[in-house]
Amino acid sequence: MNLLFKLAAKNLVGAGMRTWLNVIVLSFSFLIIIWHKGLLDGWDRQAKNETISWETGGGQYWQASYDPYDPYSLTEAHARIPSLFDTLLSKGDIASILIAQGTIYPGGRIQSILIKGINSNQKLLKIPSSLFTGNSVEIPALIGRNTANDNRIKVGDMITLRWRDVHGTFDANNMKIIGIFDTDVPSVDKGQVWVPIDYLQRMMGMAGEATIIVRNKEKQGIVTVEGWKYKSNEVLLKSITDMIKMKSISGAVLYIILLSLAMLAIFDTQVLSIFRRQKEIGTYIALGMTRKQVVGLFTIEGSLNSVMAGLLAALYGIPLLALQASRGLSIPGGSKNFGLAVADKIYPAYSLGLVITTILLIMLTTTIVSYLPSRKIAKMKPTEALRGKLQ
Amino acid sequence: MENSKIISIEGLKKYFNMSGVKFTALNGINLEFSQGEFTGVVGPSGSGKTTLLNIIGSLDSPSEGKAMVLGQSIGELNVKQAALLRRSKLGFIFQSYNLLPVYTVFENVEFPLLLLRMDDGKRRKMVMDSLEWLGLTDKIKSKPAQLSGGECQRVAIARAMVKKPEIVLADEPTANLDASNSHHILKTMVRLNKELQTTFIFATHDEKVISYLRRKISLVDGKVARDEIMNN
Repeated sequence: MNLLFKLAAKNLVGAGMRTWLNVIVLSFSFLIIIWHKGLLDGWDRQAKNETISWETGGGQYWQASYDPYDPYSLTEAHARIPSLFDTLLSKGDIASILIAQGTIYPGGRIQSILIKGINSNQKLLKIPSSLFTGNSVEIPALIGRNTANDNRIKVGDMITLRWRDVHGTFDANNMKIIGIFDTDVPSVDKGQVWVPIDYLQRMMGMAGEATIIVRNKEKQGIVTVEGWKYKSNEVLLKSITDMIKMKSISGAVLYIILLSLAMLAIFDTQVLSIFRRQKEIGTYIALGMTRKQVVGLFTIEGSLNSVMAGLLAALYGIPLLALQASRGLSIPGGSKNFGLAVADKIYPAYSLGLVITTILLIMLTTTIVSYLPSRKIAKMKPTEALRGKLQ
Repeated sequence: MENSKIISIEGLKKYFNMSGVKFTALNGINLEFSQGEFTGVVGPSGSGKTTLLNIIGSLDSPSEGKAMVLGQSIGELNVKQAALLRRSKLGFIFQSYNLLPVYTVFENVEFPLLLLRMDDGKRRKMVMDSLEWLGLTDKIKSKPAQLSGGECQRVAIARAMVKKPEIVLADEPTANLDASNSHHILKTMVRLNKELQTTFIFATHDEKVISYLRRKISLVDGKVARDEIMNN
């Protein structure tokens, strides 16, 4: 085997341009597959991290009636915050959120909105709730950049907010926009206003109540609370995972096209080699190699293309990918409408597993593609191969 | 000088199927070859010379009859055994040299020893000895494309001789060479035959080769027409 590897390497290097063209094409495939997969992994990681930081924390306790996909559930989805959270809540180690439906009237237009009340002292989520502290206005409110842009709202604007309290009575008041926050997580931004929870509790007549309690996994284990159901991050982030998975599947089409192109080059070279190098094949057999060994030699030659491509890809790819991983890839404007956490820049994540899997996948495919035409050698008559006669 | 029988052929027939028509290439050949012979199988094109050499060289097998080479029946060898026989005991010289184009002269000559898994030091010495016999020590780093036809054939001889085989089979070795190169090559082979006791069997219709033979077997239509001892 060692001998075959040596001979194959020598033959490959000796083949000159033909080898290098295959190696270059294959190295592009290596790089683009790793880059694309790394980009998706990076996006996945960023999206999850951002969603955890802004929304889900270490998991959430939902009031039993709460269903984020059913706005009618909100009238029932509130309950007194269980006393076992009191200490953590007073220290700001967890966040309690009360959700209600409302309407705002920016610039004379009508806009349905979710009013989310959050405890001002919370340090768990990135929502800048500390801005509420010390504000003596009627209703201090925070909104995300997208909502602000969509409704042409700026800091200091007074906007009319209308809501319906626990008794079904409509009420309205002016809220003052005290801050606009930038986030990559649309589910804490789009169509939402954030107010202090105690204000919202008063407005709604729901003193001491909340819809969601955001868990701090460093401070508390998962507990069972009557009337509340626990949702782990695995469940809460499922939509992101599913969406990334979908994108990975569509990315697989790209891999297949790229791999097919590279494999076509290898297959073509192998078929051509076997036709053009019949005399050489005959000579190998005359000198004492078995046909099996010659098949092995040609298969190894084909497979070594991917080894060389891997080395070449590493040579120019590692600096390129490292540069992009550190600088990130800018995402065009409008990507906020993807419905998924998309940062302005995505930083690809290249794991060892990704690189090894890609290399193994390409090497395996190359070996199979190299082997298939090489099998023809086993059926060759050495006497005719020696004469270079097409068989 | 010539002694024990190393090749024995009895009633050898070889048929080929050519587009559905049975073509008889060898038709009842009976021959014996002794160690150290310098023999030529001569005859016109299509007389069966190359087919006979291919069978002796275990590159092909008999359709009928028996061909015993160095104690082994060619027709009964499996692919692996035939490869082993060629690898260890036989050397081939071809009309168009059949050198491996991407290898240097040294590497081409070294190749049969690599297949024998010989250790580095011994292998290197044997390659250098062989190149020295053939006067090619100044060309060890050249590739076949950089050599003349005569030099290529000398490399091919060096490659055939490097493992000191018992039999060398040469198919039209001078067909692509001019007269001067042909004589040079043939004199080299005569010298190697004498010094190393290697049996040389040629397939040829070149008069220059015939003039060096000690035994001439004439084939006509797949049959031995004459088997004569030459005064060389």
